[in-house]
Amino acid sequence: MLRNVLAAAALAMSPFCAHAQQAELTDSERQLYEAAKAEGEVIWYTSQFTTEMSEAACGLFMERYEGIKCSPVRATGGVTFQRVMQEVQAGAVQGDVFSTNDQSDLIELKKLNALEKFMPQSAEAMSPVLKPMNDSDGYFFVSSVSPYGIAYNTNLVSAEEAPKSWADLNDPKWKDQIAIAHPSFSGSAGLWTLAMSDRFGWEYFDTLAELNPQIGRSIADGYNLIVSGERKVAVTAIALSRQGEAEGQPVATVVPEEGLMLPPSGTAVLAGAPHPNAAKLFAEFMLSQEYSEWLVSLKRYPLRSGVQPAEGIDPLDTGKVITVPAEEAMQGLVDIQEKFRETFGI
Amino acid sequence: MSSVLSSSSHTEIGTAEPAARVAWFRRLQPSTFLWIVLAIILALLIVAPVGMLVTKSFTDPVTGGFTVQNYIDAYGKARHVQALVNTLYMSAAVVVLSLLFGVPLAWACTRTDMPFRNIIRLGIFGAFVMPPYLGGVGWILLAGPNSGWINVAWESLTGSPEPLVNIFTFSGLVLVMAINTYFTIFILVSAAFEMINSEMEDAANILGAGPFTTAMKVTLPLVLPSILGSALLTFLISIALYGVPALISIPARFPVVVIQLTEFFSFPLRVEVAAAYSIPLLLITAGLMALQRKILARKGYTAVSGKGGERRIVKLGRWRWVVFGYSFLVVVISVILPLLVLMMAAFSRSWVGGLSLDNLTLQNFHYVLFEHSSSQQALVTSLVTGAAAATAAILLALAIAYVVQRKLLPMSEVLGFLAMSPFVIPGIVLAIGFYAVYALPPVGLYGTYLLLILAFTTRFLPIAYTTSQAGVRAIHPEMEEAVRILGGGRLTAIRKVVGPLLKRTLASGWLLIFVPAAQELSTAVFLVGPNTRVVSVVLLDMSEEGLLERLSALGSVLLLIIVGVMAIGVRFLGRDFMLRRT
Repeated sequence: MLRNVLAAAALAMSPFCAHAQQAELTDSERQLYEAAKAEGEVIWYTSQFTTEMSEAACGLFMERYEGIKCSPVRATGGVTFQRVMQEVQAGAVQGDVFSTNDQSDLIELKKLNALEKFMPQSAEAMSPVLKPMNDSDGYFFVSSVSPYGIAYNTNLVSAEEAPKSWADLNDPKWKDQIAIAHPSFSGSAGLWTLAMSDRFGWEYFDTLAELNPQIGRSIADGYNLIVSGERKVAVTAIALSRQGEAEGQPVATVVPEEGLMLPPSGTAVLAGAPHPNAAKLFAEFMLSQEYSEWLVSLKRYPLRSGVQPAEGIDPLDTGKVITVPAEEAMQGLVDIQEKFRETFGI
Repeated sequence: MSSVLSSSSHTEIGTAEPAARVAWFRRLQPSTFLWIVLAIILALLIVAPVGMLVTKSFTDPVTGGFTVQNYIDAYGKARHVQALVNTLYMSAAVVVLSLLFGVPLAWACTRTDMPFRNIIRLGIFGAFVMPPYLGGVGWILLAGPNSGWINVAWESLTGSPEPLVNIFTFSGLVLVMAINTYFTIFILVSAAFEMINSEMEDAANILGAGPFTTAMKVTLPLVLPSILGSALLTFLISIALYGVPALISIPARFPVVVIQLTEFFSFPLRVEVAAAYSIPLLLITAGLMALQRKILARKGYTAVSGKGGERRIVKLGRWRWVVFGYSFLVVVISVILPLLVLMMAAFSRSWVGGLSLDNLTLQNFHYVLFEHSSSQQALVTSLVTGAAAATAAILLALAIAYVVQRKLLPMSEVLGFLAMSPFVIPGIVLAIGFYAVYALPPVGLYGTYLLLILAFTTRFLPIAYTTSQAGVRAIHPEMEEAVRILGGGRLTAIRKVVGPLLKRTLASGWLLIFVPAAQELSTAVFLVGPNTRVVSVVLLDMSEEGLLERLSALGSVLLLIIVGVMAIGVRFLGRDFMLRRT
């Protein structure tokens, strides 16, 4: 109700605001905006952020482009991909934009001709580290970088005790105290599992299984488990723990010695999207200056070269990172999920 | 005409006369066509999705030809078989615990002078209204091994770092399932206790039986069918429940069928294997139903008549307080504790923050009501689809129950079997059947409210059918036959006799469906579109991220609305509808 009231108020004021904002819009942006206004809405299937961040991103979009409602539908990568696949199969695509932490999903969809070939113009301004990770055929682009690291509860674990590396998570002292995510639910957890198994061999998970980690569905769950003190350490998106540190939560972030695990999130416009122009406009928005600045304000990595990361966070090109190429992920994920199920019994 | 009918209804249990079988077409009259239409609806709602599942289970996904490979894929792995075994084991344990909760409470509330019976009833009513996943979240807050409130309290009391209780275990799983299922047993067994005429017990007493012998030889056998029937229902509900396993069995690493099914439905999508995987379950539960039918068929239970008999309650003496203590304990475990922690979490910044003014906030409610973009709409969707499905299901079920009980069509037993069959199909599987038949073109209902309503109607048809069947069974055909002898048609008989007699049954049946339908998760998971998300799906998405405070807030709002609807129902139906006063 309040939302409607606010929207109505915003609409009433729009002649004033719109004028001020349109000055900043580029030509192609304005064209998209005009066409998108007729569509009135964009539906964003996403697993790349938490619900709260997805709502906030949509809020920014609606502020910038008045008259277009942005509706995020947030779930884990596995669930989101499932929903999109169902729609594709049903020939009734309902979502407009699809974002995931697991680019192999995007490659699958591309194979099924389920993606619209669209590369935002603003992709030109992307950081040189990230730009090469965009799809070379122009079907999807990197829309967020959410590196994986380790986080721990500072009330329960001292800085000396805290794990320093991925390998440290095999230390028996963490029995019953680790939180991880299930690779079949969380797309990025799948990539993490692949990366760890590439580096340490499957023994890493055999040992981990003996330590009885709590297995959540989302990587964000692990973060919440250490905030609550249910677990001491978690494999999680460090953006969450860094944001938590800034908010005064009892958490600290560890950049593992082997390097952060980097699952670049990808975004594409779905073929047959009910609101194609609004979808493209939203894609452009994700690579805008404003969006990158917003990411930085949440301790996330910016996507554009002109925007610096928040204080105390090294730019991506200086730190060591572990990545899993999307093609390799596509081949390895199903097997690794099966192995994980065998080892962990769920 | 009426003589044919009455003779056939009197030979229900004996062998059917060949003459009656031949003469079925002679019974055709205008109202019969209505029954045929209803049978077609049933076929569309159940046969089509289930048929699609069975067909799929034997279909090669690539060639479209016949194959048994799906069954090999589904059951060729020890882990997959284990999940099925686990599910049966878990469900059996849930049934036992639910019986331990439900039967004594039903007896205590209907047949004894236990103090505060209405408070206990109110508590059990709470157990019914609480969606399973919210009970699950409540118990995670209470008994998480390291930060659960009970364990924190235990540690500060004893200094022991070893958790007292751990919800992420088999027993934790069974407990949370049972607190969500014992209501079914309570309500069905209570109804049976309330129907018992004390005269029979008096007769036993007069013949020299003590209270214990009377209970064992008279009271218990009279309610045994209800106990068995409700135990079976509980078993089936436990198999199909998705929310609680999603929350608890993954961390507990106790794989069950519904979790295994999500594996088949995740990438690469293997609907055929999932279908094959669920067929044996269907056979097991169908077998159980046949067994129940056999047990019920052995005795004539139409003994319960419309005649008023005196029912006297048992004087418990000093045992009153023991019985009350046990009943109250069940209510505390199933409702008061989880509801309390949910409420506290809903008003907290951080649920581990404890009780302090700093930690108190309304932000979670503000967030879910005004900031979160889909919550408002989801609340409306849940209530509207729940109400529509409850109405559709109860009308359809009444018609089917009537056809079956009065044997209006040949093979009407098949209709009854079909109406009950959705219970043995896990909601998730039903959703996939629906998805395959109705979401895809040419029907193309994906992302519509209609799809959800149809699926919910089908899903809850068994509850509607059980309720209607019990109602119709209790009405002796003599009363309708009286109408027909006086010249009224069957529809007149239904309107003037069956309808009024069943009013209360149907209304409480409607609420019995509305409440779970408005909270339904497992069917909804695969059928919601971005604009038709229901609250349960929004809550599930929140639970993935561990946003327990906000989840609690949204869950509380849903609970409040449902309780409101129930309160209106109670007002219209009189308070005797579920919280019956003795």
